[in-house]
Amino acid sequence: MSLAPTERVPAATAPAGRRKPPPTGRARPGRRRVLTRRSVPYLLIMPAVLGFALFKAYPIVASFWISLTTGNGAGRQFAGLANYRRLLEDPLFWTALENTALILVVQVPLMLGLALLIALGLDSSKVWLRPLWRLGVFMPSLTGLVAAGVMFSVILNHDAGLLNWLLSLFGVDRVDWLGSPSWARVAIVLVLTWHYTGYNAVMYLAGLQGVPTELYEAAKVDGAGPIRRFVSITLPQLRPILLLTVVLSTIGTLQLFDEPYVLTGGGPDNATLTVTMYLYNNGFKFFDFGYASALAYALALIVSVLGILQVRLIGERR
Amino acid sequence: MSHSLSRRRLLQLATASAAGFGLTACGDNGAGSAAGGDGDTGTITVWSWTTAAEALRGVVPDFERDNPGIKVDVQDVGEPAIWDKITVGLASGGKGLADVLHIGVDYLPGYLEKFPEGLADLSALGADKHKDAFVKGLWPSVIGKDKAAHALPWEVNPLGLFYRKDYFDKARVDPESIQNWDDLIAAGPKIRSASGAYLLGIDKPGATQDMDFFQNLMQLQGAFYFDGDGRITLASPAAVQALTLIKRLNDAGLIADLAGEGTEKRLLGQGKIATNPNPAWAVEYLATKFPAQKGKWRVMQPPAAVPGGGRSALVNSTYLAVASSSQRRKAAWRFVEYALTKPAEINKMFASGGVFPALTGAYADPKFSAPHPFYGGQKVLGSFVESVRGNSGATNFTGDYSRALKLATDAQSQVLLKGADPATALKAAAAQLAQQTGRQQAV
Repeated sequence: MSLAPTERVPAATAPAGRRKPPPTGRARPGRRRVLTRRSVPYLLIMPAVLGFALFKAYPIVASFWISLTTGNGAGRQFAGLANYRRLLEDPLFWTALENTALILVVQVPLMLGLALLIALGLDSSKVWLRPLWRLGVFMPSLTGLVAAGVMFSVILNHDAGLLNWLLSLFGVDRVDWLGSPSWARVAIVLVLTWHYTGYNAVMYLAGLQGVPTELYEAAKVDGAGPIRRFVSITLPQLRPILLLTVVLSTIGTLQLFDEPYVLTGGGPDNATLTVTMYLYNNGFKFFDFGYASALAYALALIVSVLGILQVRLIGERR
Repeated sequence: MSHSLSRRRLLQLATASAAGFGLTACGDNGAGSAAGGDGDTGTITVWSWTTAAEALRGVVPDFERDNPGIKVDVQDVGEPAIWDKITVGLASGGKGLADVLHIGVDYLPGYLEKFPEGLADLSALGADKHKDAFVKGLWPSVIGKDKAAHALPWEVNPLGLFYRKDYFDKARVDPESIQNWDDLIAAGPKIRSASGAYLLGIDKPGATQDMDFFQNLMQLQGAFYFDGDGRITLASPAAVQALTLIKRLNDAGLIADLAGEGTEKRLLGQGKIATNPNPAWAVEYLATKFPAQKGKWRVMQPPAAVPGGGRSALVNSTYLAVASSSQRRKAAWRFVEYALTKPAEINKMFASGGVFPALTGAYADPKFSAPHPFYGGQKVLGSFVESVRGNSGATNFTGDYSRALKLATDAQSQVLLKGADPATALKAAAAQLAQQTGRQQAV
């Protein structure tokens, strides 16, 4: 919006009390400087904002538009909610969602429980060579996702896999880890737990180290046992970290792709097909970009709803 | 640099940038709209994979000698990575694509259908004159909606049944007596008990989506997932017959599970598989990977899927195309034409990469009628040439092949892992394919 000439107040006739301080530096009179104490923070965050706009916001908006269209390449036609309606009637979408939910319900609590136990152990002063144990626990999360998938495809091989060989030493029959629908799910849970437990354990460990020791000392004086101290002090103190790990793990599991992609390809009979893998198949194998975008938005909606629910349920009550 | 950039100027610049960005977004309307050029000189890049890339490199010195001004850079992109790279390139209007693209028949119709302007019109550059030079049945795959050719056939894979002659001899099974799969299923238990080997292997869980055997059994009946008009035939009698044969083989305990990395190679190496339905590329594969089994293998025409039925099938084929976005389309076309229509060059590539040529003129080379020592002196390549010539027609892969393949894989897994009825599983798969693609079902 531009100011009309009559609205301008000449500097010379402005009331003395409201006159601005004279310009400094090389800025010409009448022009305001960009580099001020107030503008510098905005300039500093501008690269991130521009990066977000270019590489995040634009694809997000473009993807939404594509989800409302059908057709090939340049010849896209607006189709309204047709892709979303199609999604509701697609049994493979529901299978993928069911698989993802199953992994979420089974694997996330298992992994976080295990991580908490490990963190409690690593936090104990009675553990010898603690840094070494901490490193060992964290190491799997440094492994590349695809590398982990390939490694486990060798370990879990039915005929020549290391795990079946170990089981055979105890007289246990070979398990078809990747070839049976139910065992393939177990295999995915196993790989995910191996990969991410250490990461969560380190987060809990950081949280544990932030709990004031006075609380434990006071509780001891009051006669509280270890379980009571854990329930009444440790868990409430860890609440923010617990919330963080639950939300991050939920989002990560809902976006699960690499491990099942490398290990099972979503099989057998779609037992390990996840929503993101189905999304990828539709986009890059079936070239159905409109439908793939609709899947992406459906997933984003599910992630958002679950995230909000978790924050409401576990988050700090004010 | 002056620091006197005013806030208004800053806003103006930001607005201009945003407007430009918005225009770019509007202008980038998706696939195949890249403006290429018809340059006839310069360096052209070629995307291929593994041995095929190596074979193509062998053509480059001759080509560059005969075409001064053009340099060729063949890149081994890897497979399956090449499909993602090409798909992304086509979806972004041809940006970042190589000039020449090596594409399989499982992807080519999809690219032509979904990105109609993504691959260059080779008819306009003179491709049609080569139409009859290739194996019958391949040309329809290169034709786009505009009725123009968009690729030239390079490789064709006629089906053969590789078998362990020593196991057949041990079981007293005469290969000549195997005319159809009923005969082989009947002989299977004898071969299994005499040699301890499975009759053949399949990836039962379908992790690799390798449905070649199922497709072979349909192709032997002149059928596929789609008919010539693109209607769905995944639940057709031919498909049910194919999956029923696989179920019978499995129920009889004759199928080894090939799931997992390198399982097939390991079982073949251990001599645990008696027959191997595979296309022509396997001739050199078996000979080079398992030299210790020299003299033990032979090849026969694949048994018919139904008694009295056909005994030839084209498993798949690959092609070279030129990207529309290429700035040197004429130079790229000249390389494609040079590599794929000269028998001497084609055979040079066959010798180095095992890519069985689609160019029928290449079969006059003596190597196609020579005895092969690995196969006990059998003229194996000659039998594949016969198979190619006996092939009756095209397989319509369509742009929805990948989706059909996925659903067929699921149906086969349900039959092999859960004992599902083939007809029921295929009927459900066909219905789902129709729901997802909007295609009609035949019958």
